[in-house]
Amino acid sequence: MTLSNRKIRVLMAKVGLDGHDVGARVVARGLLEAGMEVIYTGLRRTPEQVARAAVEEDVDWIGISILSGAHLTLLPRLRRLLDENGAEDIRIMAGGIIPQEDIPELSKAGVSRVFLSGTAIAEIVDYLMAETVHD
Amino acid sequence: MTRMLASRRRDLDMEVPDESAGQRSGPAAELIAEEARWRRETFAPDAARAERQRGFVTDCGLEVKPLYTPADLDAIGFDYTADLGFPGEFPFTRGDRGAMNRGEPFVVSAYSGFGEAERCNQRFRTLIDWGAEQILVALDLPTQCGYDSDHAMATAEVGQVGVAVSSLADMEQLFDGIPLDSIKRVGTLGNSIGPIVLALFAALGEKQGIPWANYVVNLQNDPLKEYIARGTQILPAEPAAKLACDAVEWCIDNAPNWSPMTVCVNHINAGGAGSSLGTAIALANAHYYLDDLLARGHSIDEVAPLLHMFADERHDFFVSVANLRALRRIWARRMRERYGATLPAAMALRMTVYGHGQESLQEPLNNISRIAFGTLAYVLGGASYVYIASYDEAVSTPGEQSLKVALRTQQVIASEHGFADTVDPLGGSYYVESLTHGVERQILDALGMIEEKGGALAVIRDGIGRRLMTEGAVRRQKAIDSGQRPWVTVNQRPQKPDVANTAFRIDPGAAIDQVARLQRVRAERDEARVSAALAAVREATASGANVTPSVLEAVRAYATVGEIVEIWRDIFGHFSPSTEF
Repeated sequence: MTLSNRKIRVLMAKVGLDGHDVGARVVARGLLEAGMEVIYTGLRRTPEQVARAAVEEDVDWIGISILSGAHLTLLPRLRRLLDENGAEDIRIMAGGIIPQEDIPELSKAGVSRVFLSGTAIAEIVDYLMAETVHD
Repeated sequence: MTRMLASRRRDLDMEVPDESAGQRSGPAAELIAEEARWRRETFAPDAARAERQRGFVTDCGLEVKPLYTPADLDAIGFDYTADLGFPGEFPFTRGDRGAMNRGEPFVVSAYSGFGEAERCNQRFRTLIDWGAEQILVALDLPTQCGYDSDHAMATAEVGQVGVAVSSLADMEQLFDGIPLDSIKRVGTLGNSIGPIVLALFAALGEKQGIPWANYVVNLQNDPLKEYIARGTQILPAEPAAKLACDAVEWCIDNAPNWSPMTVCVNHINAGGAGSSLGTAIALANAHYYLDDLLARGHSIDEVAPLLHMFADERHDFFVSVANLRALRRIWARRMRERYGATLPAAMALRMTVYGHGQESLQEPLNNISRIAFGTLAYVLGGASYVYIASYDEAVSTPGEQSLKVALRTQQVIASEHGFADTVDPLGGSYYVESLTHGVERQILDALGMIEEKGGALAVIRDGIGRRLMTEGAVRRQKAIDSGQRPWVTVNQRPQKPDVANTAFRIDPGAAIDQVARLQRVRAERDEARVSAALAAVREATASGANVTPSVLEAVRAYATVGEIVEIWRDIFGHFSPSTEF
């Protein structure tokens, strides 16, 4: 594997009925400013819609913002849908209101990283830079 | 204007008295010269020694001077009678009521809800037992977005951020043993389903045998801000606003003592606008609703008393006080000058607030003091209805212990420390009056800009609101990331998030019980009555008539929230989510 010049592509997504998207938009702006290609789904998407958009847009990462408490259902479902559609390489990061004690279960379900409230944008940028490897 | 103020202040800093000051009478000019001397001889050497380098600018962009004196009041042309007057009298700067907290203190309130009605009913009883005087029901997202608990879109969300309410049966269960006239006020948000939640509370009163005049229903019912901030919108904005006004109009005729619309600054500010721009956008929304209701032939004296506002400023204590005072003044003047209001109740703005601080996941117990300070500012600013955040809200849906602390904090503010013993205790402070003036200018400037661009709908349609809010949110994030905005345990003395195994959990059985009750209701109700009632809702909606009477009849027949909203979706279509960021 070698690093290519391809920019890191991120789909920021709101899944479920949760309507708080300031966090998602601020992260989207931050990643864009850091030189990544960023798409935002807008509110109220199903895991199916998010998975489809991620595959169509050929992203490296999906960033899920979720504050509604439905993370333990919706995030594993998204992971499953990606895997079933041959998109095992698309990775998921999440943020919002997610109790710390849920992180192990989310990790087991294939969520690569959960960023808790108070995370600096630079920390997310550094993480994506370090973790993204293009073939 | 804000800039002018700031530059005038810089002039003072630089010991160049501006022209108007030069023309003032002796004492003012002398004071300005004295202040300049103090800055040079006493302040500057001391400040230089301490080297506190952060910029002293409020979150809404006003510069903060090191000291305020009577010269600052002079500079803004402060006039006690015209600018402040007396509490309960025009322009209501010092309070919407004469005695404020010295008479009946602010209403101690709780915003709560989780799971399904039976479990939540126990929680409400507990809250009332602890002294909650107003219960605002937190509804789950499926309900707020118009889906019944067994709809596919409700998956994993039933009972999560609030209690599920699909029909009147849920409301009966929710308030079992809690007569609606036993507490001061009761209500919910229901921003996109205003006429339905209004009807649910009206029908519940009938079930409990309590006349509408004997209890007070308070709704948020402010759909316009959902499109730029809170995100539970269902329909396109215009019909959504029309339906919200239907609920208000119904109250004019049937329950004039209710409080069916709360125009919100809160979510717009939190979403990044900042409190001054947020207040301006909220005022533009209020004008939209008022204009709709007046166009139906009602008078401002009938309509305005039914509206109140939800103010918000959570980053700066003194700006918060100033914001509430300025907003009351602006409202009073607009109601009188623009609409010709004559009744004090139509000019005196009552305000709901939700006490917040800059809450952190790190050492969350510190949030108790943050929230208390934020709440105190609102109380000193003259809020009427107070809710406050729970210290664990950044972690999950609040549990009982933290809700109890939230109520007790309000009770402490209402009765201890002498906070509530005199009216508008910060009135007349050189700083607070300067800020009140500065914030008022900012709000009016922003409102002028919005009105020039076409008002509330343009803010949504042209993406102005969203754009300004994203910019503000990015600015805030950068201020935190860079440490320019101090945040203890996050960027000052940083700590690791420290909240393992404390999250309040929704019993997984709640969603199952909720769906079972919903299906039982559907099986047992009089289907012919439901069909006829829903047909009437469809007819009223399509014809442009006020939908509330038909919705009330449908609710009485146990038609569900989802069934009614489905008709609206069918007729008006869906909102289209913006993918801009």
